[in-house]
Amino acid sequence: MTKFKSKGLYFKFYTFLPIIALFISVLNEFDLNYLKLKYFSFNFPFILIFFFTLKDFKNFDYLLVFLAGLINDTVVGLPLGISSLSYILICIATSYLRNITIRPNPIKDWFYFLFIISLINSMNYSILSLFFSYDLLLLSYLVNIFFTFILYMFFTYLFKYYLRGLND
Amino acid sequence: MASSRDDFIIAIRSAFLKKSTQQKFSLLTLVFVSIFTIILSSFDFKFIRYLKAGISEAVYRSSFIVSIPENFLKNTFFEIKEYSSFFQNYKSNKEELNELKSKSISDQITQYENKELKELINNYTLSSDKLLAKIIVDHDSPYLKSIIINKGSKDNIKIGTNIYDRSYLVGRVVEVNYKTSRVLLLSDLNSNVPVTIAPQNIQAIITGTGKNYGEIKYIKEGISNLILEDSIVYTSGTGAIFKSGIPIGRIDVVDTGNSKKFKVDFYSDFGQLKYVFAELVTKTEVKNEDQQAEIDDTQKINTIDTKLQILEDEKKIIEQTNLKLKEENESLKITINNLNKQNVDFRNELYDQKQIIAQYNIDLDEIEFLRLNLKFGHQCRKSFLNNDGFEVGTLEYKSCVMNKGQIND
Repeated sequence: MTKFKSKGLYFKFYTFLPIIALFISVLNEFDLNYLKLKYFSFNFPFILIFFFTLKDFKNFDYLLVFLAGLINDTVVGLPLGISSLSYILICIATSYLRNITIRPNPIKDWFYFLFIISLINSMNYSILSLFFSYDLLLLSYLVNIFFTFILYMFFTYLFKYYLRGLND
Repeated sequence: MASSRDDFIIAIRSAFLKKSTQQKFSLLTLVFVSIFTIILSSFDFKFIRYLKAGISEAVYRSSFIVSIPENFLKNTFFEIKEYSSFFQNYKSNKEELNELKSKSISDQITQYENKELKELINNYTLSSDKLLAKIIVDHDSPYLKSIIINKGSKDNIKIGTNIYDRSYLVGRVVEVNYKTSRVLLLSDLNSNVPVTIAPQNIQAIITGTGKNYGEIKYIKEGISNLILEDSIVYTSGTGAIFKSGIPIGRIDVVDTGNSKKFKVDFYSDFGQLKYVFAELVTKTEVKNEDQQAEIDDTQKINTIDTKLQILEDEKKIIEQTNLKLKEENESLKITINNLNKQNVDFRNELYDQKQIIAQYNIDLDEIEFLRLNLKFGHQCRKSFLNNDGFEVGTLEYKSCVMNKGQIND
């Protein structure tokens, strides 16, 4: 595992890696949310935000999450504020979970994540189709929720590995 | 029961309002800001529009820069793939080119005919320019199919501008910023295009499916059986959103048992777009009869003016020609003078040379005289022994010498 002997520039970069990953994932054309595979898509920012806000990661600023949402809306072409609201709602959900949890359980977190992303995607779908008259594929949303849920555990493992590197 | 409800309320309140040490804003504030932004973005205020355009400009540029490494890898992969199938493509392209060459001439004739007929039918004559645009962001989302191009209002791009890949329709502009625009692709679920299916000449509407093909919808009942596999789909121009006669794709009939589905395989591969053409259309109104009569009257008045103008122009031309001729004349005069001068010089030279020649001849006579004088001088000179001779220096003496001593009587 990477060890940082001196807490210099590399260490700072390492601590900001999650927020950098979030911004790259929303800015990049290579969308982890959609890999051009039939019936396969997942929302990487959801996983990232959920995990790091649940861990109350110090460099994961809510304001930056909000800004990432605005950028995502601009790049994808959604009405401004939709993704920001979704991301902030995830933050609220994780904050609430943190408050009510005494003994954290990964499986419980996992299913709580499923509940939250289903809720947020439903809200997104409703706002877009009711208020903005967008024609959307419900199946795409369902597939997205399913794979985001499935891949959560895999990314959790990666992120824990990252956090371990930070603590070493 | 009451305590658990209290716990829930406390947890919720804490989640919304409690700020961690690193957080600058509470989540409740950010939720309100998000909702406020959504509400504002649904209104079409001028300020919001400019703000949105500004954010879009910055984000699109950033997105383009962030995507450079990924695009480089993607392009390298495609290039390698392209090279591997290069020869095969070359052969098929050659064959296709030969076929197309033969078709091209007749197509051109048809195009000219079409243009003429359209000008007769339409109230407007349309002249269009195609502007090459680079795709700076190709963010393929599962929900929205759109691309960002590097041309905007600065380049006269407007909402609704048709976008092409070569001569195939790709989509239309739905959002215009100063230097960038968003193009809604034909494959987007929200895209509806009125089309004609050839050769059956069936009018229909093609909608996007969110995938890489479109679907024919809203056909008149009973005529769906007429649609055949590989029929050509092109824009009908109904609704004046898209220009008529732009090729879109070919029909792929999918038999699902009970019913038939008509998929449209687009000619253009939207996933591989790198550059597109934006069609800038300028409309020129063709006047009707009343307007034409008014125009005729004004034209009559204008005719005299025009004639005068022509005459004035003619006068100007003549004046200019005269001036030129004068200049030419002057230069000719100068040339003649020069030549005359040269002539005089030559004459003088000739005279001098003649003089020299004459002198030379005289000198020759003198030499001859002196030579003969030495030889026959004593025969001609008057002396004690020669009473018939002449005085030296007289003409008789000279002629005697020249006659080689023979004295003429």
